[in-house]
Amino acid sequence: MSSFEEINIGDTLGPLELFVSKDQCRNYAKIMGMGEIAGRFTDDAAARKEGLPGMILPGNMSLGLLSKLVTDWIGSSNAALTRISTTYRVPVQPDHTLTIQGFITNKNPADRTAEVDVWIENEEAERLVTGTATVAFRK
Amino acid sequence: MALEFDPAIINKTFEVTDPVEVKADKIKRYCEALGETNPIYTDEEAAKKGPYGGIVAPPSFAVTFRNGRHFFENVPRFGRRGFDAGKDVEFVSPIRAGDQVTLSSHVKEIYEKTGRTGTMVFVVIRSTLKNQKGDVLAHIDHRFMNRP
Repeated sequence: MSSFEEINIGDTLGPLELFVSKDQCRNYAKIMGMGEIAGRFTDDAAARKEGLPGMILPGNMSLGLLSKLVTDWIGSSNAALTRISTTYRVPVQPDHTLTIQGFITNKNPADRTAEVDVWIENEEAERLVTGTATVAFRK
Repeated sequence: MALEFDPAIINKTFEVTDPVEVKADKIKRYCEALGETNPIYTDEEAAKKGPYGGIVAPPSFAVTFRNGRHFFENVPRFGRRGFDAGKDVEFVSPIRAGDQVTLSSHVKEIYEKTGRTGTMVFVVIRSTLKNQKGDVLAHIDHRFMNRP
């Protein structure tokens, strides 16, 4: 990505294909102190007891991956991620390849911001987590 | 189920946390867990040359201070079990290594919604993160969905 002037509505972010293992998911939950309070992030059996198909990624981890998609796109440009909204539609399961991507939906020259749609999908192209983000460009 | 709650709980701060120090090592481990490799988050020298002049956390680090379950020690849950339906996060200032971060939280809104799968109650809790200087770092709206 370069300057505000050079980006266009419809420009894409990603796609980033990412295999998230159960160990990565456990590691995230452990670092964030979530493992002790919710076995669904660390243990298949505990997750099934809650009616889930197996271990799931913490919502915050999905938010982190979507934010990373945007900040990777910004790279070293003079811009910053100023807002992100996420909706957790379907539980995200580890040991799957996730595709993380987005595109620019709007450009506002008055405040030099761009709006982007971002989402995480599984191998069946089902959108598990959807979101919107705002990127602010400095002069 | 009628949605009954004391309207006085809306907008009233129910929790202010003790300050938590953001250690550079915690930022590093967070980056590892996410697969984040940008050196401005982990390498002192690279960070000094970067846009913030020192180590900062990735923006999403803001959501890691409170993951939500304990909010319901102070806030009605409206159901047997809830889950995290989503978040709206406004990143105001970067979180820097060494910052002492406090969170204050209040109930922003409570509303019912009926969808394909029945009635759901949404409880939105807003947490504001500040550093030791009183600067706002982020506002986080946690959307929790509960089934009555």
